[in-house]
Amino acid sequence: MSDLVLSQPAPLAIPRGNSKTGLRIVQTACIFIIALVMISPLFMLFIASLKDDRFRILADMGSFRAFWVADPTLSNYREIANFSGELAYGRYLVNSLVILVVTVVSGLIINSMAGFVLAWGSLRGKAVLLAVVVALYVIPQESIIMPLVVMMSRAGLTDTFAVQILPWVASPLYVFLFYQFFAQLPKELYEAAEMDGASAFRIYRSIYMPLSLPALATVSILMGIESWNQYLWPTLVTQTDYARPISVAIATFFGQDSIYWDRAMAASVLMMIPVLILYLAFQRWFVSSFVGSAVKG
Amino acid sequence: MTLQQTSAAALPRPARRRDRQRFWQEVAMIAPAVLLLAIFLITPFLLSFWTAMTNQPLVPRPTPVRFVGLLNFQRVFTDPLFWTSLWNVTRFTAWVLPVQCGLAFLTALLLHQKLPMQNLLRGMFFLPAITSMVVVCVIWGTLFQYPSGPLNQIVGFLSGGMVQPIDWLGDPNWAMFSIVLLSAWQAYGFQMIIYLAGLQGIPEELYDAARIDGASALRRFWHVTMPGLRPTHVFVLVITTIQAFKLYTQVAILTQGGPKESTETVVHYMVRAGFEEQKLGYASAVSVILFVIVLLIALLQRKLLRRFDV
Amino acid sequence: MTTYLGNRLLSALFASSALLWSAGFVEAKSVIHVMHQGDPGWVKAYGDVAKRFEEANPDIDVEMIYAPHDAYNEKFSAAVMAKQLPDVMELDAPFLANYVWSGYLQPIKPLVDKDVLDDMTGSNIAQGTYPIDKDLYAIGLTDSSVVLYGNKKYLEAIGARIPKSVDDAWTREEFEGYLEKLSKLEGVKWPIDTFRGYGIKTEWITYAYGPLLESAGCDLIDRKAWKASGTLDSEACVKALTMMQTWVKNGWVVPTSSGTNQFYAEGQPAALAMGGHWFYAEAAAAMKDSIVVMPLPKIGDKGVSPNGTWIWGISASSENPEAAGKFLSFLLKDKDYRDYAKTQSAYPGLKSFAAESPLYAEGGPLAVAFEQASKTAVARPPHPAYPTITSAFMQAVDKIFNGGDAQEALTAAAKKIDQDIEDNAGYPPFDEQQ
Repeated sequence: MSDLVLSQPAPLAIPRGNSKTGLRIVQTACIFIIALVMISPLFMLFIASLKDDRFRILADMGSFRAFWVADPTLSNYREIANFSGELAYGRYLVNSLVILVVTVVSGLIINSMAGFVLAWGSLRGKAVLLAVVVALYVIPQESIIMPLVVMMSRAGLTDTFAVQILPWVASPLYVFLFYQFFAQLPKELYEAAEMDGASAFRIYRSIYMPLSLPALATVSILMGIESWNQYLWPTLVTQTDYARPISVAIATFFGQDSIYWDRAMAASVLMMIPVLILYLAFQRWFVSSFVGSAVKG
Repeated sequence: MTLQQTSAAALPRPARRRDRQRFWQEVAMIAPAVLLLAIFLITPFLLSFWTAMTNQPLVPRPTPVRFVGLLNFQRVFTDPLFWTSLWNVTRFTAWVLPVQCGLAFLTALLLHQKLPMQNLLRGMFFLPAITSMVVVCVIWGTLFQYPSGPLNQIVGFLSGGMVQPIDWLGDPNWAMFSIVLLSAWQAYGFQMIIYLAGLQGIPEELYDAARIDGASALRRFWHVTMPGLRPTHVFVLVITTIQAFKLYTQVAILTQGGPKESTETVVHYMVRAGFEEQKLGYASAVSVILFVIVLLIALLQRKLLRRFDV
Repeated sequence: MTTYLGNRLLSALFASSALLWSAGFVEAKSVIHVMHQGDPGWVKAYGDVAKRFEEANPDIDVEMIYAPHDAYNEKFSAAVMAKQLPDVMELDAPFLANYVWSGYLQPIKPLVDKDVLDDMTGSNIAQGTYPIDKDLYAIGLTDSSVVLYGNKKYLEAIGARIPKSVDDAWTREEFEGYLEKLSKLEGVKWPIDTFRGYGIKTEWITYAYGPLLESAGCDLIDRKAWKASGTLDSEACVKALTMMQTWVKNGWVVPTSSGTNQFYAEGQPAALAMGGHWFYAEAAAAMKDSIVVMPLPKIGDKGVSPNGTWIWGISASSENPEAAGKFLSFLLKDKDYRDYAKTQSAYPGLKSFAAESPLYAEGGPLAVAFEQASKTAVARPPHPAYPTITSAFMQAVDKIFNGGDAQEALTAAAKKIDQDIEDNAGYPPFDEQQ
């Protein structure tokens, strides 16, 4: 990891020399500016969350005043930091976290095992299976949601954690992603391990999984976001506070007669933080190049 | 889907007993996913094949549910709005693919190098992807405001007042383009991290070898990075295409298919029929048709990609 | 929902867990489930009512279920399909006929206290009545209306006559004349906001624009023969919508993508606003005294205004209808609930509530809005095909406002509505009603 892992076209023309540090600073600054431009729409969200009058927020929308606050206040955040009573956001937050963790952990295991078998297994007809998996990704959630509601209520799963986890653990997208990642790894890996007499599961667990940190991180993050932002499904299958996730509670700020812009904005900012932490925690796994060293060895 | 060069057949065949053991192990490993998918995805979807051939309403009604054969399909195919919606998602896909994947690829390249404050930068670029779509729509609805929203002010400023304010979401000629901008912005982070993982998968040794051979950075990019990312490109292309054809949430929140049907999408058309007008049979027919169409496109894509060996 | 075979399969699959579920129902107290739209303020208000009710009725437990506004209808459908309809639920008045016809609701007259029933305004009774048996299926504390808000400064500048009561509402000539004058007035960017910004899904279009058609002498559907062709695509409707299309073409109407705040946003770019009673709160907060409230204009001979809002019904499947009715009576009389409703500038649907609401009382700022309820309010078509009626109409209006041909769009909408009615065999017994 001594040099750039990859050199992109931009700095090619500049000759090598002691200007390298300077170049890197300029380069970093440029990337920062691009990043700031990309996330500039989100400033509006953050600024609005610091205004405590929802009519003010509404009146400011549609002009650059949406990007400026003269008297910032944290009152919106204080208001939603409510852990008991009718709208116990603290409880919803915990519910969402439980659902996220269970979904992601079980999803990682189940989807990666399936992807592994599709990539390296000896099962007949796995090409067909793979095609089916891709085809399943085509089905939009909206077209199966009502039959699913009926199935789940018949199974007596309404208003549980299970009903919010089970349907989304196995996912064609992530099976496909794992398959794609595993299939990319050199076949010598598998052959060597098999020669040593390792079983399929052992090869998967001891050789392929440790090599798959980038894929595992990717899937964790994507599944995490998906689970965190699920909204229509939990609305349909939860009844009480017992298992209600935070996304549903926050959607109530977008009410019938009035939108609680102040708290909706603050809640939206807060909603992003856990996923951001998840991302920052996992993205470190992208950095080290396990694959390279493994192949060498 | 196309990426695998080695098949199991090429592997040496061990003894029979081990074969059988291996078979059951593999079955056990793939079973949880297959089972869950069968229950939660395939079963409800297969039910909709049957529903599509009935006049079933969303919720039970006093009138009996009848088998109506292919009537729903016939009606879907003769509704000009269905064809409009199909054309719209095709347009959307054609626009969003290069914009979103290009953005994702470029940002991934930028971030896949040693940088000071790397974590912060990566976090920043990923922020839009973790923002929920409802919030994204609120923000962009403001940016898009006509005539004096921020985006119009920027356009006006950059063009020195030459360009008149654009009714981004209200002008049938612009609405879909605006949805493309917003969608690409919201979702590029998704493809970005897939590219980042893909870049990570390219062995460092290949770069070292290329450097020793004296290959320039540009040559390394074309001859090491691009071939190394081939499977990732294919994956991202297939996935993004399918996602694009399922376009719904943004449209439902911001334009509801309008203005003048210019942003009507197949899934939105289906939801309107099924949830608002309560014609579940009809909506099921639409979802079956969408399924077949997107599947054909995915297969076609795969064929084409194979042919050009991308 | 599923086929017979599917049912069998599923019950077999889930038989064991189903047993567990039914075991949960064995309880000594009777429990009633109450479902409503989860706006945070209301969640708290209803939760408090439930607590007080439980104290007064120790033998009944109340379990509140809420769903966010924009997913409420989906939640409702899901509850029906899952056979988990709550005992008491909030429902949108125009969909009442569909729900009653489908058999989800039961008549509430025998279940709700008589003094509450006697307290209902005419318009409230109308929104809760099923036209076939003329029985009452739902009741609410509130109702709704749409009025014309004006910016005093601009109206004075053009010397507009300001109507004091529903009877002297603007005529079409006056109205269009003022729009024209306002369009030329300094400071006015758009003469009127008709809240196109609400979009074409929220019921707003049918709710607020429908009455203009009715005032012009046509309707969404013939309310006797229940046929849309010949009514919705009649000359009167085409003319009325072409009129509105002309306003849009002239640039008189705030565009869809300009938000819903142009009436009071900085510089007050919109001079008039055809808005719901709920709009008053935000507009008055920003504009103070410079806001005038006027009745909706008469497009034809008679004035027409909308009504109907979210009201409460008791499900036919309720196992404790008496307890449900008791809760409903308790809720509608609850003082704190009413006080909270007042802070939301709620439009009264009960006479006693109207008497407590200074906003709507004689001389109050929204008095005209309340006057409309008894003089010009017309409910949206009480027919089980309403979901299709409103969806088809909203799409037609979107096409017309964006330059489509009015006749063509309305004919297509009428065909779609009639097709739906035909597909449901005329929704008997509505087909026999003449």
